[in-house]
Parts: sequence; C-alpha cells; structure tokens
Amino acid sequence: MSKLAPATITRWVVSGPPTLFMLLFFLAPSLIMVLASFRYPGAFGGLAPVFGGGRPGEDTGLTLENYQFFFSDLLYTEIFLKSLLIALISTLACILMAYPLALLIARSPKRHRDLMVLLVILPFASNFLIRVYALMILLGPQQALASTINGVLAAFGCAPVSLLFSTFAVVVGMVYVHLPFMVLPLYTNLEKHDPTLLDAAQDLGASAWSRFWRVTFPLSLPGIFSGSALVFIPVLGMFAIPDLLGGTRDILIGNLIKDQFLGTRDWPFGSMLSIMLTVVVLALAGLAARLGQRKRDGGN
Amino acid sequence: MMAAIQAMARRRPPGRHVAGWPQRVVGCLLVLLVLSAGLVAPPANAANVLRLFNWNNYISQSTLDRFEAQCHCKVEQDYYSDNEEMLAKLAAGATGYDILVPTGNAVETLIRQDALRPLDRSRLPHFGNLNPAFLGGFYDPANRYAVPYAYTITLLGYNRTRLDALGLPHDTWGLLFEPKYLEKLKGRVTVLDSPRELMAAALRYLGYSVNDTDEAHWARARDLIIRAKPYWASFSNSSYIKELTVGNIWLAHGYSNDMYVAAQDAEKAGRAFTVAFSTPKEGAVLALDNMVLHRSGPRPDLAQAFMDFMLDGQNSAELTNLIGSGNPNQAAMPYIRPAIASNKAVFPDAEGVRQLEMLRDLDRRQRRVLNRMWVEIKLR
Amino acid sequence: MRRSAVLWSVSLAVYAFLYLPLVVVVVYSFNDSRLNAEWVGFTLHWYRVLFSDDEMLGAGANSLLIAFVSATFATLLGTMAGIAMHRFRLRALPLLVITPVAMPEILLGVSLLIFFVQVLNFTLGLFSVLIAHITFCVGFVAIVVRARLAGMDESIFEAARDLGATPWQTFRRVTFPLILPGVIAGALMAFTLSIDDFVITFFTAGVGVHTLPLQIYSMIKIAVTPEVNAVSTLLMTLTLGLIILASRFAPDALKGAA
Repeated sequence: MSKLAPATITRWVVSGPPTLFMLLFFLAPSLIMVLASFRYPGAFGGLAPVFGGGRPGEDTGLTLENYQFFFSDLLYTEIFLKSLLIALISTLACILMAYPLALLIARSPKRHRDLMVLLVILPFASNFLIRVYALMILLGPQQALASTINGVLAAFGCAPVSLLFSTFAVVVGMVYVHLPFMVLPLYTNLEKHDPTLLDAAQDLGASAWSRFWRVTFPLSLPGIFSGSALVFIPVLGMFAIPDLLGGTRDILIGNLIKDQFLGTRDWPFGSMLSIMLTVVVLALAGLAARLGQRKRDGGN
Repeated sequence: MMAAIQAMARRRPPGRHVAGWPQRVVGCLLVLLVLSAGLVAPPANAANVLRLFNWNNYISQSTLDRFEAQCHCKVEQDYYSDNEEMLAKLAAGATGYDILVPTGNAVETLIRQDALRPLDRSRLPHFGNLNPAFLGGFYDPANRYAVPYAYTITLLGYNRTRLDALGLPHDTWGLLFEPKYLEKLKGRVTVLDSPRELMAAALRYLGYSVNDTDEAHWARARDLIIRAKPYWASFSNSSYIKELTVGNIWLAHGYSNDMYVAAQDAEKAGRAFTVAFSTPKEGAVLALDNMVLHRSGPRPDLAQAFMDFMLDGQNSAELTNLIGSGNPNQAAMPYIRPAIASNKAVFPDAEGVRQLEMLRDLDRRQRRVLNRMWVEIKLR
Repeated sequence: MRRSAVLWSVSLAVYAFLYLPLVVVVVYSFNDSRLNAEWVGFTLHWYRVLFSDDEMLGAGANSLLIAFVSATFATLLGTMAGIAMHRFRLRALPLLVITPVAMPEILLGVSLLIFFVQVLNFTLGLFSVLIAHITFCVGFVAIVVRARLAGMDESIFEAARDLGATPWQTFRRVTFPLILPGVIAGALMAFTLSIDDFVITFFTAGVGVHTLPLQIYSMIKIAVTPEVNAVSTLLMTLTLGLIILASRFAPDALKGAA
C-alpha cells in the first residue's frame, strides 16, 4: 500500500477529533430524540416503550400521531411564524447596534482592541438571570425610561404604555443577551480587512459612504451571516426571556417546547417540535449561505 | 505576497521563548484535564451523606445544622423549582437521591412508576405527630410512601390599601375574571404561568371541581380566561412577590407562602400600603408536599432518620416560621409564631379546609388537550 | 471625521446599553434591602452573607472551573472544525457542529441525560456537565473561526507550502496568527455560554454538583436576593482578573494578536 498523502493525513487530523466528538456526544443522543418524536408519551411522563407491553392505558410502538397533531392545527404554525418574526426583528436590531461598534473596535489602534472586545463580553460573566432582573428594574413603570416615554405620550394625549411585560421588552431582552454574539463575529471579520483597499478607494475619489457601502460592507457579509446565525437561532429556542419580560401574549416556540418537557410531560410532541424547529432553522441557514455564496461569486 | 509570507515566517524565529508555546498550550490543557478529572472522582466517602432533591429554601439552615450534628453526617441538596423539573430529570434516568419532596400529584406519579421505596414505620416514631386531616390522601391512601411535610394554598395576594380604596372585595376569584372588577385594576394583575393552576381557579369560579375533566367545562374556563386576559399585566410564577411588595402590581394569583413573604417584605420596607392574602370563597387548590424515599437512594436508613427528625414539632415549626408555609404537623403548632398560626389563609379552619382540593394528574390525552388550550389562551 | 464621530456616539450608546443593567446589578449588591427594587442605603451585608454561604461560593467556583475547562476544549475542537470546514469540502462536519446550535437546549439536555445514563451507563457528575457544555459550545467557535477564514487569500497558505513549510509549520506560523482573533472571540463566547447555562446543566449535573445558574434558578420562586448580585459582581471581577492574568502570562503569539 502506498503511503498516505500528507494532505489526507492533515485532513483527518484536523477534522477527525471534532467529527468523532460530535458523532458520539451529539448525533447519538439526538437520534434518541428523533426516535422519541415517533413514540407515545408514557402514562406518567417520559416515553412509552417501543417494544413489549406498556402500563395500562399506555400505547406502545411507533406512531406518526405527533406530526399529525402538529399539522392538524394552525395554532402551532402560528407560533412558529411569530417566533421567526421576533427572531428576525431581534437579529436586525442586533446588526444595527453591533455593526458600528464592531467597526469602531476594528479601526481602533491595536493596543486598544483587546480591551474594547473584553468590555463587550464582560457583562456576560455575570449571571443571565440577574441581568434580566436588572433589565426588569430598568424597564419598570417607576423608572426614568418609562416615565419619560409616558410623559411624552401624555403630552400628545395618548394613554400610558407599559414597557415591562410587553413584546417590546421581549425584543429588548433578546437583543441584550445576544448582542456579543453579533459583535464578536463581525469584529473578527472586520478586523482582517485590508486598510489599503479603503485607501485605494479614497484615492479614486470615493466618498466615505460609498467606501463603506462598496468595499467594507460586502467584505463583511460573512461576518454578518455568522453573527446572524448566532443570534437568530438561539433567540428561537429562548424561553426565559418571554417568561420574565413578556406580557400576556408572548409565547414563543421555545416556551412551547419547554412546556412539553417541563409541564405537560409530552416528550414525543416536544421532540417533534424541536426537530421541526431544527430543520426549519437549518433550511434557513442553508438558504442564507447559498444566497451569500451566490452574491460573493457574482460580486467577484 | 511572497515577502509577506517570509516576513511572517521571520517574525517568529525559533527563539528562546517562542518555540515552546505550542508545547506550553498542550501543557496547560493537560493540567486542566487533570484538574477536572480530579473533580470528577466521586466524593471520597459517600458513606455518610444524605442526598435531598428539594425545593430551594425549603428547610431552615439551623435545622439542617442540628441534624448534621446529630447524625454525624452531611446533607447535600440539589434543587428544583417545579415538580415537573424533578420528574423530568428522574424520568430521563437520574439517580442517587435519597429523599424527594414532591407535591401530592407527583407522589402519585412516582408511586405508579414504581420509583419509591415504602416507608418503614418502625423507623418513624414521630409519625403520630401528623394531623390525620393530611393523611390518607388520594395518592397514598394507606400512608405507605409519603410523609406530609408542608403545604401551600393557591390564592389571591393583593395590595389591601389599593383594593379598599377602589371598593373591591378581597375574597373572590371574580377579581381575577370579572371585567367589572378588572376595569379598575387594568395592568395591575398577574396570574400564575401554569395551565393547571389558572384553569383550577377558573373552574372553581364556575362552580366545578379543580379536577373536572369535562372538555365543555374546560372550554368555559378557557373563555373566561381569554375574556379577562386583556386586563392582566403578565403571567408570572415568581416576580409577583417583588412586584406586589414594590406596589407595581395590586392583585396576584399565587401561593400562600409567597404572599406571606411579600406581606412581610412590604411591612419591613415600611410601605405606605399593606399586602395581604386570602383564599377565595369559591375554593382553591391545596398543594401538599411530602417527603418520599427514592428507590435509587443509597441511604434509606439515614433518609428515614431525617424524616423522623423533621416530624419533631420544633424542627417542623422552623420551616413554617421561615417561609410561612402551612404545616401538617400538630406537634409543631405550639412553636409556630402566632401571627402565622392565626392566619386563616395559611392555616384554614375546618370550614376552609372543605373548600380546598388537591390537583390530580391528567392522563396523556387530557394533558395534550389542556396544553393546546393553553397555547390558544396565550396566543389570543 | 464626522463619520467617526457618528461611529463613536453610536458605539458609546451600545456600550451604555450593555452596561446600564450591569450597573444596576453591581449597585444593588450594596443595597440595604432584600428586595432588589429600589435604593435604600449602602451596606456590605450581602457580601458578608455571600462569604459565609459555602454552597453559593462552591457553586461559583464550579461554574468558573466548568466554564474555563469547557471553553478551552470547545475552542480546541471548534477551531479544528472551523478550519476543516473551510479547507476541505466536508458534508457531515458542518451539519454536525451547527445543528447543536440550532437545537433547543432542553432537547439537548434531555437527550444527553438519557444517553449518559441509559446508553453509556455513566454516573452523572461534573464530567457529564463538561461534556455537555463542550458539545453545545463547539458550534459557536467553529462558526466564528470559519467566518474569520472566509474570503481569506488562499495563496498565503499555498505559498507557505511552496516554501517548504510542513502543514504544522504552516498552521503555526501562518494560519494560526491569522485566525487568532476569531479563536479568542470563540473562546470568550464559549466561556459566557457555559457560565450562564441552566437547562443543559440541570439535566446533566450529578448529585451534589452545583453551578451558579442551578443555584440561582431554584431561588426564582422564593425571590432572588442581592446575595446573587453580590456573587455576580464577584464572578465578573474574578473573570476580569483571570483574563488579564491569562493575557499577561499568555504565549507571545497570543499577545496583541486580537
């Protein structure tokens, strides 16, 4: 047998460990849950057996019932769409806030960058829950923010609004806890841009705006894509924020899934919902990647 | 380009301290690995440790200290904040807990899953301290598995000053569901984020049992909830305590021990208003928590020593004095602070007890129907 | 310069948004009220409570340790995955690392618990938490590293090889310095994800393994006291200190590269 080519060895050395790890600790466990989505819930929670007799009143074996239940009712699709919308709004808000910051850090002198990045992430070393509680205080009806807004509204003769316990608060919370996941990928992308390109554009007489729009922005698309993935996707699964900050209508897909495991003991339906969500998200990510690829190929 | 590569290659000549860095990184990784491996090793002496899977703050620290001193052992606690969290973790296969503290309906589930060890009553000489009214529940008619520990009532907590000023009553679920009351309370009301609890309140208000499973009755309850929902601020399982104390919320559907805390906090903070709580006259849910022995627990002997310790009146009273929970232990009554013992929303009289019901588990089809209704309630 | 003024003011506003809640957290840790609702007066009471609360301190130490160890391994695996995804046309790996990011964490938690206990017959402990945390962090690191590599001039790597560099030398001298900011960003993300995780930790932690989120979430029902603010403040200070320390003693290659 001939000696393995170095390229092949490199390929295995680099991709082998992560692949093996994820096969063992991610794929194998999640297959259990894929299977679970075709099973019946146990009479007292958990899962009913696939083979053999169950307890009285328990169905055993495999079924499509969970999938049928989902599609038999528009209610669940409605939650999906609503969650996608909230995730989209939160992602856009994150881009709008993160981009200028990432750009500023990337253009700052090298010795300041570390500190500026660290400052973005530092608040996240405190506990998630306590940060959300702090947000609840800031959005509370007696705080400056709410009184200012309601003062302005009153001046125009409008009824006061509640900032806390609203969809607005949910979006603020989502943006707040996910902002670094947009800033960091954007920064790592923007940081590598070659400043000479911008100088060249300037020499050619391009205005600041067109330099940004024609040079910086297209080059930063991979950063925007990965940042968006890291914000959009986790927002979809989040349940603590709608629980704590939301009003009486703020139920998202993450809450529905959590309810199946930590409320109604309906693991098969919960697994099924999770798998649907994962598939939808991956399809969207694939689509975005394809579009990005085409744009880049077309642009060059 | 070539120049750049060469420059890059040159930037890091194989000098004194540079050559070693990958090795150093690997070294650091190994140290971390060893460090974590050291912590992975099971606790050196598992022999004298009692393991509880319990609600947080559900036993006073001084009680624990005394038990540890008496049994020459260590008590380790893991916490849950909902029966369902505990049941889910156990259903997936978690083991190693000697004692769990589930509510009645969860006890029934655990018994039927064959997850509990029967009690050895000879090891529980103080069992007789328990009030017979709290024994022989539907989940354990012969008292073979469960030792009642503490209870709460799901009721209404309110800002008494505000309600009085608005001329509203205190003692009816109508406050939560009737637009004629709610119009004065718009945006000042929270309800529990729990399908069973909220439906139970609505069902009692409509004159049904909390365990009614007739779907037509459920639909009436759902419509009642949907009609009232626009007046509510949010569904809240926890933050209502604080919001009541601060004065943002004037009426909250919640647990008696939480309301006790809210009332205490408001008083201590010297508020201009008082927070109070009472059980609606239409009746309410009683949640009785029990100590039970999990089959996977390695130390049933220690566990039962602990149970008996907690059956002692003085020890049991400490919990009530700490969190304002109801106490099924007759021997505890003399040690409970009079302010709590005389509060009918914590210790109902015989008349009040008759109006209370414990929740029973639903079967899987009913659970799914209820969850669908809940989604509808939330979305509308 | 008008433009950079805009950039600065927007950025400062974003920093303010990030830090306003944090200021509340820190200030209220010195507040003489159990309520976490309004300022009453200055006290060190909550820090005294914290320093006599072994359970909370232990949970904090566990959280830090788990976050450091799992972030380290997740960064290692994630960086490899990111490079592999960029360099080779792989089909399975991208799906394998990105799907966990897309999967609801409850499902991940329950599935890992079932897998550990019922398939591997493994006793839950700290180790199971570490594995679980690494699993869900790898994808985040890989995505950032890959984004860093995307659009990078391939000819640099080829040139290095043409100059006779072994793959390891190419990696050490060329690739690694180039992707380092991405690696560091990924590591920081993994660290915060791990230190904040409740759901997956709840399911995979063994008896007696406490982390701060486990401790704090179980307090939700009984009202979160300023002791939690105090422990959060402490944790943040410690993290800051550790990061500064790490960058002080870090290999030269790590310095100034980010």
